[in-house]
Amino acid sequence: MEVSALPISPTNKEKLISAGYTNLASLVIVSPIRLSRELQISVQEASNIIKVTLQCSGAVGLDGRHVVLRGAQTAWEMFSDEQNLKHISTGSEDFDGILGGGIHCGEVTEVGGVPGIGKTQLGIQLGVNVQIPIVYGGLGSKAIYIDTEGSFMPERAYQIAEACIMDTLESFRFHRKGAEDCHERMQPNYFLANILYFRICSYTEQIAVINNLNKIVVEQKDVKIVIIDSISFHFRQDFEDMALRTRVLKELSQTLMKLAKKFTLAVVVMNQVTTKRTDGSFQLTLALGDTWSHSCTNRVILHWDGNDRRAYVEKSPSLPQASASFSVTGKGIRNAISHSKRVRMM
Amino acid sequence: MPMRAENPLHLSAEKLSLGCPVLDRLLGGGAPCGFVTELSGEAASGKTQLCLQLLLSAAAPRSSGGLSAASLFISSEPPFPLRRLLSLSSGAAAPLDHILVSTAFSFKDLLNLLKHVDALLSLVRPPSGRPIRLLVLDSAAAIFRADSDDARRRSSEIFTLAAKLKEQARKFNLAVIVTNHVVDVFDGGSSDQHIGNYLNLSSSWRKVCPAMGLAWANCVNMRLFLSRTAEDGNGDSGTGGSFGRKLQVVFAPHLPETSCEFMIRREGVFGVATQA
Repeated sequence: MEVSALPISPTNKEKLISAGYTNLASLVIVSPIRLSRELQISVQEASNIIKVTLQCSGAVGLDGRHVVLRGAQTAWEMFSDEQNLKHISTGSEDFDGILGGGIHCGEVTEVGGVPGIGKTQLGIQLGVNVQIPIVYGGLGSKAIYIDTEGSFMPERAYQIAEACIMDTLESFRFHRKGAEDCHERMQPNYFLANILYFRICSYTEQIAVINNLNKIVVEQKDVKIVIIDSISFHFRQDFEDMALRTRVLKELSQTLMKLAKKFTLAVVVMNQVTTKRTDGSFQLTLALGDTWSHSCTNRVILHWDGNDRRAYVEKSPSLPQASASFSVTGKGIRNAISHSKRVRMM
Repeated sequence: MPMRAENPLHLSAEKLSLGCPVLDRLLGGGAPCGFVTELSGEAASGKTQLCLQLLLSAAAPRSSGGLSAASLFISSEPPFPLRRLLSLSSGAAAPLDHILVSTAFSFKDLLNLLKHVDALLSLVRPPSGRPIRLLVLDSAAAIFRADSDDARRRSSEIFTLAAKLKEQARKFNLAVIVTNHVVDVFDGGSSDQHIGNYLNLSSSWRKVCPAMGLAWANCVNMRLFLSRTAEDGNGDSGTGGSFGRKLQVVFAPHLPETSCEFMIRREGVFGVATQA
């Protein structure tokens, strides 16, 4: 499309062409101030010209953003989006530190570790922490908890919610603004009721629920975290066709990634540990094989270090490989009690 | 059938008493219904004793911490210790019509049996007049340790069994108790350090670890470990088996890692309260 075809006044058209703006692409990227100076017109008029240009070239998305390709974003826009994103705290500052502030919304994070290391504890903790009201620095949202192993304990969730509420109120003791409004929300029962719990007893149910998540999230509105504890349990039974298993899992992971992106919510997927034979020796590795290991944006391994628990960021496109110790206390996930072992960069 | 989200507040939190207040306190009320609880320990550590006590507790009226229910005992290591059950229930009439006993020696047997149990569990009027609320498998290890030529098949069988047990536990709100053997742990094993805290388990001066490996450990909701404690000095001094015994919570989603001494008497299994 040519400048001459724009629905603007002929004088402005002339000015544009004589200033060298012959095609729309060059107009799309110019700032109103610069255009007003070059054309010697008012800024208001210049920005009108740009607006008309954008509309005509179809380069304005529905959300009023400039888009080069329909549905695409510039890296700059992604960066500013990311700046506004909140993180969901794990409950331990050290752990949050290696994650770059906590669990990221809009991404799929896989958490693996041996039985008893605290995967379920982390899951419950995140389901509680996502609900900390916005005035207290949280996200004030709901959680979806998909339990495939049956290890979710309401009484434990209640304990963690109670401790989370107490700690939050304690650290905001002198900050009263707006806090009265959410007084009735700061109750363990309220927190528990906002964990949407699904108990899954077979892999068919698991696939069905994951495929339905889109609808559930739309219905429930502000869901900001989906926790699946664990993704692997039902896929480790009798699967005759291993290629089929790989395909099904790949599809699940794509569904989860799309969901995370679309609703900017965090997806946290727990995975079990298995032994793998390499060169005659046995090594611990996460279950579900190599194809699956590409399926999650971030991968965090929880492991024992003597009697301490440690978390290790094994894979992430944006974080350095680092590890931190944490502990599972009566109140939930917290910093390790012995502070001798600080965050260790690899 | 569309799946509906549940409110965690409405989930069952029922517990089956172990028949001893000290042990119940350690476990936050007892063995949770809807859960698969593993009891592991060496031979003669008290696994079967505790199971028998649970059978009696399930049959006990609700007023005394029971479930007033029937139970199913699947044995892979017969004979069923009927005499011991009778001596444990001395005084009261033994609730024998409410304890169903069956045997299974292989994975196939067991899975078929559990499929039949499905039908039994869903009966509106169960044969003994009470619903079944406790399932004991004593022991899982005997089934999987007998034939273990193909590791891959074994692990998929372990997961199949666990999924079945968990499904029944959930659907019928059963307390599922599975006993397990232990294996010796040798120092210097390369991968053991990662599995971490299992190395702290010892029984009768030996370092041990529950059998059936990592695959099975992934399958249980809660792992309890029974041991004969080493601190008690000469365990074989012939004092009529009065060496120390310990019940340890290895992992459970709702409990810290705790432990408690216990003893086995003629009247049953009793926890020893620690002076606080």
